[in-house]
Amino acid sequence: MLDDHDRTRLEYAAIYIKETGQSALSDSAGHYRIEGLCDGIYTVRVSHLGCDDLLQSVRIKGSTNMDFHPEHHTEDLQTVYIAASRIADRTTQTTVLLDKQELERSRGLTLGESLHEISGVTTLNTGNSIAKPVIHGLHSNRILVLNNGIRQESQQWGSEHAPEIDPFIASRLGVVKGAAGVRYGPDAIAGVVIAEPAPLPDSAGVGGEVNMVGATNGRSGTVSGTVEGNHAVLPALSWRLQGTLKKSGYVRALDYYLKNTGFVEADFSGALGWEKERYGAELYYSQFNTTLGIFSGAHIGNLTDLQIAFDSETPLDTCGFSYAIDRPYQQIRHDLLKANAWVSTGTAGKLSVVFARQYNLRNEYDKHLPLNDSLAGLNRPQLLYEIISYTTDVMWEHRAVGGFTGSIGVSGLWQANATEGRLFIPNFENDRYGAFLIERFKQPTYELELGIRYDAQHFSAYRWIYTNGDYLLTNPQRDFSNLSGTAGFIWKADSSLTLSFNAGTAWRAPSVAELYSSGLHHGAAAVEFGDPNLRTEKAFNTILNVQYRKGSNFQAEATFYCNPIRDFIYLRPELPPTLTIRGAFPTFYYRQTDALLSGIDVSAQYRPWRKMSVTGRGSLLRARNVRDNEWLVMMPADRVELEVDFLPTARPRVRENVVGIVAQYVVEQTRVPANSDFVAPPPAYLLFHLEASTTLQWNRQQLVVGLSVRNLLNSSYRDYLDRFRYYTDAMGRNIVLRLRMPLAFTKAEKN
Amino acid sequence: MKNNVFLLLSVIAVLVISSCKKDVDHPSHPSNEGEVITTLRLTFVDSANTSDVRVAEFRDPDGPGGIAYDRFDTIRLARNSTYYTQVLLLNETVTPADTISNEVLQESDEHLLCYTPGGISATVVVTDIDSNNLPIGLRSSWYTTGAGNGTMLVVLKHQPGTKNGNCSTGETDVEVGFPVAVN
Repeated sequence: MLDDHDRTRLEYAAIYIKETGQSALSDSAGHYRIEGLCDGIYTVRVSHLGCDDLLQSVRIKGSTNMDFHPEHHTEDLQTVYIAASRIADRTTQTTVLLDKQELERSRGLTLGESLHEISGVTTLNTGNSIAKPVIHGLHSNRILVLNNGIRQESQQWGSEHAPEIDPFIASRLGVVKGAAGVRYGPDAIAGVVIAEPAPLPDSAGVGGEVNMVGATNGRSGTVSGTVEGNHAVLPALSWRLQGTLKKSGYVRALDYYLKNTGFVEADFSGALGWEKERYGAELYYSQFNTTLGIFSGAHIGNLTDLQIAFDSETPLDTCGFSYAIDRPYQQIRHDLLKANAWVSTGTAGKLSVVFARQYNLRNEYDKHLPLNDSLAGLNRPQLLYEIISYTTDVMWEHRAVGGFTGSIGVSGLWQANATEGRLFIPNFENDRYGAFLIERFKQPTYELELGIRYDAQHFSAYRWIYTNGDYLLTNPQRDFSNLSGTAGFIWKADSSLTLSFNAGTAWRAPSVAELYSSGLHHGAAAVEFGDPNLRTEKAFNTILNVQYRKGSNFQAEATFYCNPIRDFIYLRPELPPTLTIRGAFPTFYYRQTDALLSGIDVSAQYRPWRKMSVTGRGSLLRARNVRDNEWLVMMPADRVELEVDFLPTARPRVRENVVGIVAQYVVEQTRVPANSDFVAPPPAYLLFHLEASTTLQWNRQQLVVGLSVRNLLNSSYRDYLDRFRYYTDAMGRNIVLRLRMPLAFTKAEKN
Repeated sequence: MKNNVFLLLSVIAVLVISSCKKDVDHPSHPSNEGEVITTLRLTFVDSANTSDVRVAEFRDPDGPGGIAYDRFDTIRLARNSTYYTQVLLLNETVTPADTISNEVLQESDEHLLCYTPGGISATVVVTDIDSNNLPIGLRSSWYTTGAGNGTMLVVLKHQPGTKNGNCSTGETDVEVGFPVAVN
């Protein structure tokens, strides 16, 4: 509840909903809460001493955050500003979504990098173009990526296989921290990454936006556009088209270009929705295409080459700038087709069905063509993976009954994976079925949540084995099943303090690489052997989140977690090395142990003056291999970040001005197991970044301008979780300019 | 409006159908796939007695990974002798075996074999040269002096654009350290 003139918070304003007769009073900070409303349009009356009553029609869809701005003076009652935005249902797990400013800043980055402003989230990089999100130290098959609500199915097991999602599709980008097996199904051992488009427009008009991003390092350019609409003649129908083009050349470290680090990307998506009061349906299709060069200095033949690369200060293979993409490179395509429908089951609830088909094609081209000319002439990828996945989810959500809300559902996955080229992982088919029930008991000051889920999975591989002088096709089959549970509690002490606690389990079946890989891991200079008898990995995660907000100038959040994982699958180096025709390679076996990951994420924001804001973030992680009493390898180092923002006064044409400087300090990772890596972790580093943004307004047109300078001092550094740290420094200074222009082709209809 | 919808739907349908499905339960035979070097065979001919032919071989029948090597010979040579040595590289996962060393010869300006003796009194002189007068190493002469045991490291480097006559650049295609016994 804000005063329309000076935005002071209005205490004791009465909010009354005409249709239901519900009412609430705003507290001392101007906050209010009305619960138990169904989706729909309501008439709201806001009364406050000294104000005229404000009568407003309001559309509620899910949890809705609504600011009211009653006029304090009757004499200038002309405009009433209403802002409404949908917020996520509060989960008992810790959910962190990028706020508006963070989302703006992330534009142009890959999905993995976009999330780096969330404490506890880091990235596992393979150079500049491949970034996998890491939540609380875990990544790949241990986190689930939801692409428009659909679990992303691709070759997640590979550490150089980044999520195939265009972040421009998403208006909600964030993570759920902690095991979330019941709600989202297997694999959500460490958390969930959420990339979700905005809901389709629900009022008549055609609009859109254009994004343009240019960056100096790599001389990259990105253009992304969206058009969406809804028409008064057919209000049920709405649509959206979106597309992104991206191109980058070789990036530069402090002193040299990294050869063959360019990439191109072309993505598009389309959505069509039909929504009535009692039913609705939506069709969505997206395609992601990229061709990305792999830094050629990192493609090595054996340990001797690796040693030469380590010993060299700068990469052996340097060059000038180019956009050319040569071998080695990857070519990836991901298609998602999603159809969903819902129908209101009277006052009892809502039934929804979601069907999705995903197609993922990954071609990996080695540095060199085959020596054999006829093979070389085909120019085939040395590795090809094609995976097709169908998923279906049926869910029924029931409305509040005596304080209880909940949902029950079933889901199915059918998947087939085909490979060609060098033998690394076999073909397989994978079927999985699951059923879950989650119930929540809501009271004004607390909420309780309990959930249970059962999944069963059948996995069938088609695997060549070399025996007695020839290859033999075998068909090993495995069945996995598991029960998961969740229990959560939220306590809203008052409008400034909220506590949420969750204890949840999640599991995952061993991945195909963990079961059956048997060969030289190209580029990793290691021979890796899977174990066909691995058991499922089970996580039991407890997470406590404390949010505190004092007035409008201080807010803080802390997350404490403890994630013991039974039968944690990891690569253990073992003797003797494997002797091959390319020399001796260190040999790694997939083994299981019990792991314990625990840590703290904190963030706090303080606004000492109106024109200044200070934000601090930090994360700390301790990851133990309990059975062997040693540290786990490849865990992100502890880090802190401090950001100081200046907020110059808004003017009519220049609004939302921010100029900030970010200092990021990452300590050296000293908690590593002995004899498990080729070189010691790199030293600690301190980076500075500059961030500035503003919104320009002329007439009705807006232009959001952002400028970032990453690695302001052009420091040379290497990060422990960058797989290319063996060969090269990380990227040097990068100046990024972002433009975003919202478009309105027809004037939106006024209510 | 309706036409637009149908257009969009048909575009989506075409895109979905165009992503074809491969045969999952009948994967193609691995020997049809790619290229592996399974065998490095050194053949030594005594310059003083050409009927004295010796062979030393390293063989990993399915290439790196999978099953282990099944042949790893010791190079046995006589002291104070000169041997004419030839290198044969094979891919024995296919029938008939593919002679990879022929391909190396064809791209000789991108390849180099280096020989590094360890603990034995023997020297190796490469006797073949590429179009740029740089050594190749598929043919060489080995000169032994005193008796003794040691090793000989045989390295094949792929050096497109960077070949300069030594083995410090490029990517390693083959690296085998043979035990050597000079009697």
